[in-house]
Amino acid sequence: MRAFLFDPYRLGFMSRARVEVVLLGTLGAVVGVHVALRRLAFVTDAVQHTVFPGIAIAYAVGWPLLPGAAAAAALTVGLLVMLTSGHRQFFRGAPPGPRVDFDSALAVIIASFFAVGVVVVSRRTGYAADLSTLLFGRILDVSRAEVVETAVIGGLCLVVLALLHKELVLLALDRTQAAAVGLPVRLLDAVLYAVTAATVVVAVRAIGTVLVVAFVVTPAATGRLLTKSIPGAMAAAAGVAAVLGWIGLSASYEASLNHDVRLAAGATVVIAYTLGFAAAGAARLLFRRA
Amino acid sequence: MKTSAEPAAAPALRLDALGVAYGRRSVLAGVTGEVAPGGSLALIGPNGAGKSTLIKAILGLVDAMTGRIEVLGTTPARARGRVAYVPQADTLDSEFPVTVAQVVLMGRYRRIGWVRRPGRADRAVADEALERVGLGGRAGDRFGVLSGGQRQRVLLARALAQQPELLLLDEPFNGVDSTTTDVLLDVLAEQRKEGVAVVMATHDLSIAHLACDTGCLLNHHQVAFAPIAEALTPELLGVTYGRSAVVLAGDSTIVTTT
Amino acid sequence: MSTVVDSFGQHFFRLALIEAVMVGAVAGAVGVHVLLRRLPFFVVAMSHATFPGVVFGSLLGVSLFAGGAVVGIAVALLVVALGSLRQIDDSSAIGIVLAGCFAVGVLVLSAQPGASRDLSAYLVGSIVTVNTADLVTTAIVGAVLLSVLAAFHKELVLGAFDPGGLTALGYPGRTLDTVVLVVVTVALVVCVPAVGTLLAVALLTVPALAARQWTDRVGPMTVLAAALGALSGVLGLCLSAAFDVAAGGTIALTATALFVVSAGVRTAAARS
Repeated sequence: MRAFLFDPYRLGFMSRARVEVVLLGTLGAVVGVHVALRRLAFVTDAVQHTVFPGIAIAYAVGWPLLPGAAAAAALTVGLLVMLTSGHRQFFRGAPPGPRVDFDSALAVIIASFFAVGVVVVSRRTGYAADLSTLLFGRILDVSRAEVVETAVIGGLCLVVLALLHKELVLLALDRTQAAAVGLPVRLLDAVLYAVTAATVVVAVRAIGTVLVVAFVVTPAATGRLLTKSIPGAMAAAAGVAAVLGWIGLSASYEASLNHDVRLAAGATVVIAYTLGFAAAGAARLLFRRA
Repeated sequence: MKTSAEPAAAPALRLDALGVAYGRRSVLAGVTGEVAPGGSLALIGPNGAGKSTLIKAILGLVDAMTGRIEVLGTTPARARGRVAYVPQADTLDSEFPVTVAQVVLMGRYRRIGWVRRPGRADRAVADEALERVGLGGRAGDRFGVLSGGQRQRVLLARALAQQPELLLLDEPFNGVDSTTTDVLLDVLAEQRKEGVAVVMATHDLSIAHLACDTGCLLNHHQVAFAPIAEALTPELLGVTYGRSAVVLAGDSTIVTTT
Repeated sequence: MSTVVDSFGQHFFRLALIEAVMVGAVAGAVGVHVLLRRLPFFVVAMSHATFPGVVFGSLLGVSLFAGGAVVGIAVALLVVALGSLRQIDDSSAIGIVLAGCFAVGVLVLSAQPGASRDLSAYLVGSIVTVNTADLVTTAIVGAVLLSVLAAFHKELVLGAFDPGGLTALGYPGRTLDTVVLVVVTVALVVCVPAVGTLLAVALLTVPALAARQWTDRVGPMTVLAAALGALSGVLGLCLSAAFDVAAGGTIALTATALFVVSAGVRTAAARS
């Protein structure tokens, strides 16, 4: 057990990967509790798909991936804010306006952005390999600079969430009350979308665009199963994410080293998260019976 | 099933110490009473007091029941084809791509059966029902472009198209215009004359008084089940609504918050 | 342009064309129910959930359909079950399940050598490699799906519009809901050879949305959605031949373009 948990990290790249996973897990966990409160899982999924063309284009042009992803995410956030606030006027079929509901609009955005990314990537040779790197990330190749970027951006997001904690919670629990009290509802929406988008952007290089949603949704859901209070859930979620991320990463290393099976590291982490959620769910059900 | 010797004498609805619980929470208890064919019952009580639950029980959509309930002389599940339910119009999506005529035809679906399409006879019944509620000319319009009151009437027409023996209405007079109120009262009176029983949840005490011959006051348990004039007394309403009932001079009672 | 014309002469392209028409039409029609019941997120989630099934199917040498459909349906049922628990809200349940499924698929795939190439085929489709057997499967499955939707049409529309009314009339509401979810999941799997799992969302949501801009009635909307879906397939395929880019991407983008045009026309018409 000790070897399993500690040996891999004597290697530089594994050590960096572990730090990255723990940082991302913590960030995802805290953001994820807010996402769960607002039922924004779909939005997270949307952002995770829409950053793909940003990354794809950046990759194709040879730029660093972060700005590309950030640009795409910013575009998405802009569209989202427009959709949700202008929603009533634009999209309720009250003339003039197209007949589109929020979920459908999001689906169109996801599909079309993703298609752009696919088309861009397919223009290059070696398309398949590039595609999977972009889609599934390469956590074991993460550089020191990238870890620092994750820490800085992640830290910034956490600070923003901490400062606005009670406002965001009120907004989630009772939107009309929040507006009545004079909170700038649209601005707060934009902040939350922006933080979610930033989380996705920062996670995407390491984890890939396909598995990011698990970082934001699963540990947070596990935390909420374990405790009712919101700060408690955040702490539990972060703890769970850190521990399970560590275990998942170790499992991937173990498999490739000692059993000669290549298991993608991002995937093992997500599976560890999912099993953790299932275990918490089962424990909860059992405790109810007791 | 025990039925009376003369089918016409069997009550449309018979409740005997009916109780419903969700898990350990009792939402309805001790409901007892009868509605004759052509009779009309008002379900009165604050929100969440069990009116909707009782309606669901009549439709046979509630499992955990104690006591007995008999609908049209048989079990709720078996009677369902002969019972028509009219929900509140604003629970339905007004953007949905469906016409008024299509909504009314929905009442015929059970008779049409699976797979088959509505036939000429069905359309005739639907048209007639639509005429009856005064919206004959709006058949081709999208359901959502009608006003709230008109949509409520369309839902009533849907129920009429079913040609039921028992009509169940959930707050049909809520926030509707006066034309709609008149049409609803008119249609309900006419149905009653034809022997159709009516059970209606409502907040509007004057309508209840006007349209119903019996009142059932609910606040999670039955407060009263009596002829309407006896049910709508300040004392009983006070028990039902708690502090929300305000007694005016004489014996008019107004329910302030529901 | 000449590339496109040349392509028509080639057998594989003609097969791809037929597949594009069938998949587009079926997805378009099924997409109307996705729209009526507000299932776009479910479709996105299922596009992830069917992935491991497709992977397993391919690895075991079994039909992709069988693999994708079996796992996809199992996941659909799981989501329905999870959704009825009060502690977890729908979108979280879907999010967790979908990411977990995808991770399993990635895991299995990454353990295989040559994983990358196969991966992109699953994710973004490779319509130009469909063979006659694939076409026959698509045709049969598509026909079955459309028949089911046609047979239960009036009940399904009622159930989408007024689920309470459906149950009050005595219909088995939950069963019908499940039927729709299963149909949508199978339709998703049908799209995999053409556009892959991730872009199947496009065919299952966008043509129906475009059709909605033109009409208020479900019947004509279904026909139009099928037509727009088929059109997206054909045009998208030609574009991919002309510009030498992935067909899955161009098909999805063509569908989106058709939607944008439809929405624009509707907005202009509404304002005049």
